[in-house]
Amino acid sequence: MPYHDYASEAAELDTAVANCISQRQVPGFNGLALRIFAHQLRYNAPYARYCATRGISGYAVPESWEEIPPVPSAAFKEAALCTFDPSQAALVFETSGTTVGIGGKHYLENATLYDAALLAGFYDAMLADLARPLRYLLLVPNPALRPQSSLGYMMRKVAAVYGDGREQWFLEGDALDVDGFEAAVQQAISDGAAVCLAGTAFAFVQLLDELRQRGRRFELRAGSRIMETGGFKGRTRAVERSELYEALAGAFSVPQNRIVAEYGMTELTSQYYDRVAAQDDNGVRVKVAPPWLRPRVVGPDGKTLPHGVVGALVHVDLGNRSSCVAIQTEDLGVATADGGIILLGREHSAELRGCSLDAEQLRTLTRR
Amino acid sequence: MTSTALSNVPVKKILRAIASAAERWSDADFPPRVRASDRICERLGYSLPMVDYALDRLFFDLNENALRAVVENELGSLAILDEFTSRARRPLARAFPAGNVCVISSRTTIGVALLPALFALCAKCDVTVKDREDALLAAFFESLYDELDEFKEAANASAWHAGDEDAPDLTAFDVVVAFGSAATLAEIGNGLRYDTRYIPYGTRASAGYISRECTADTVRQIVPGAARDLILYESEGCLSLHVLFFENGGALSAVDFARTLAQAVQTASVEFPPAQYQRSQTASIAHRRDAAAFRAASGRGAVFSDSEAGFALFVDPPKSEPPPFLPRTMGIIPVDGPADALEYLRGHGLALEGFATAVERDDIVRLAVDSGAVRITTFGELQHPPLTGNHGGRPRIAEFVKWIDQTP
Repeated sequence: MPYHDYASEAAELDTAVANCISQRQVPGFNGLALRIFAHQLRYNAPYARYCATRGISGYAVPESWEEIPPVPSAAFKEAALCTFDPSQAALVFETSGTTVGIGGKHYLENATLYDAALLAGFYDAMLADLARPLRYLLLVPNPALRPQSSLGYMMRKVAAVYGDGREQWFLEGDALDVDGFEAAVQQAISDGAAVCLAGTAFAFVQLLDELRQRGRRFELRAGSRIMETGGFKGRTRAVERSELYEALAGAFSVPQNRIVAEYGMTELTSQYYDRVAAQDDNGVRVKVAPPWLRPRVVGPDGKTLPHGVVGALVHVDLGNRSSCVAIQTEDLGVATADGGIILLGREHSAELRGCSLDAEQLRTLTRR
Repeated sequence: MTSTALSNVPVKKILRAIASAAERWSDADFPPRVRASDRICERLGYSLPMVDYALDRLFFDLNENALRAVVENELGSLAILDEFTSRARRPLARAFPAGNVCVISSRTTIGVALLPALFALCAKCDVTVKDREDALLAAFFESLYDELDEFKEAANASAWHAGDEDAPDLTAFDVVVAFGSAATLAEIGNGLRYDTRYIPYGTRASAGYISRECTADTVRQIVPGAARDLILYESEGCLSLHVLFFENGGALSAVDFARTLAQAVQTASVEFPPAQYQRSQTASIAHRRDAAAFRAASGRGAVFSDSEAGFALFVDPPKSEPPPFLPRTMGIIPVDGPADALEYLRGHGLALEGFATAVERDDIVRLAVDSGAVRITTFGELQHPPLTGNHGGRPRIAEFVKWIDQTP
């Protein structure tokens, strides 16, 4: 049924998605995704123009969520991709701009859907087995200093809702407050509080280096867990995930099945998490999406690849009602038969072979 | 003075031996070349026609006359490598070998390390080459051994990794030639003796400039060469065309030019089929292609590509973006004049190797010079530096000799 009232349509769609989130199921994913897409075709002009070049318009709509044209994540640097006046956005998150220097912005019309999605996803992946609140020790951007960080926003919200009220932040820019972190961990141990350490992979590497130098390791209380959020891109030192998790497990006495990697993007509302019990034959972790987020693995022609074939990831996130429901990335992954993905990573860069300059070198030079 | 395996071999004999081996390698059916080609294809993923083209270019040029011309131009004469020789208005002098030379090719496409190694041999140095996994230099050295016994001791190529037990001690060399990234070169340089002659070749990019004088006819003549400059060696060489400036105000628009170039790229791709790109490269090209299409849909720029992301030309990409450095992928940047181009190049800190121009114009030559390019040429010739020219802005042989003057 055609709508003539933006607010009613947006509210109805938000309610439908919110219900899916609260019930943890999406009975009609295809229909809801297509309704959201149709809404975006009407109200998100830059997205609609792009779709028109793909032969998709209000007169020629796809029949399946897999046919929704994904907008490349880089497009968020080019235009305000939203269904509303961006000056009225409730939330604005900025990409870090590590790819080519200039960041993009993700405008969200209201925080309700965003919060519901992030809290439900986090709870199911990280907290479902716990009865007591955790203490959050955070090695991610502090939203007080970087309000544009979606990761910082997410962890502040998580800590506020699920924490013991004593969360602390230890990352300022690239600088890590290791002394403060040590003191906070000691305090948590003294208090008998189980801890959730959340940080970027790069911050954890820095932290582990420093703790190793100081000869420090900790016995966190049982029930403690660690969330790693990726993020080696553009950095000078990267380590294998298995090596990182082994070191984290050793440094904090947290079993490896309590170390969970989260995979998200500024351009998405929802996140993937490791299903720690699910590993492939080589011990590779499988990431799973909440029911309102579905991945596609595509070839360069945009067509969905069969399970097990490596391709670029496209995410269809019903939580992105007010921006773009389908996002195309450069991240490589493989789809598993049960709907999960194995992420091959943003840092999975091409081997450098020739004597040509390369983008990574230029980034290094430019940073200097 | 260091005695080397070739010290007592007349230079003419050395040149003849090298040229003779190169002549055998000019035959695409020469069994060692066939085997090496297969290994190169495997290492780089390039198509066989592209590898064959590279080897043809490499070995056809390696003739005795060209080698002699380099020696004579840089050192004054051939004889000066064999004996003290008089020179006009200069003292009697002889060019002795600089000693032990190590050539390290950590990041090169096809045979880039061969020429420095051969000119070091022409200077009668002992040469050790860090070969790539395709063992091209080792195979060519085998042919040299067939020509002249002394090469068996003088020329040696093997693959090693820094830190390997059997990796040579770089402090034992008098000259070290290295190809690689700035970080790699700095690391190598830091480990050398203070008196080692160090010849680093860093990673670089190449650019082109289509000036407003170009007519539709000129463009039609230029684009096949420009397409070859772009696609050869999958844009991975320092002489691959990485960015193209298109001067506004001419007969064609940048979009029209890009369309013509895209057709030429597709035509050239029949002769030189694309490599099997790494999946991350394909994903990155596809993502940039679609991002450019989004931009174009918003009325900014244009993109010419294919569904498989086999190539991509971006017209008027954001100037904040550096060249993509992906296979067969390039930005075409409209400019009002050379100053805009220079601003872009400097803004991104692009170190240039080659610079291709369509017409001779003083301000464009000045742009090339100001941007640090070490070779200015025409489209289609970017990937074919003459053997008799300099290499990376440096002489070919002069750095492998040590001069001794004899004065009354």
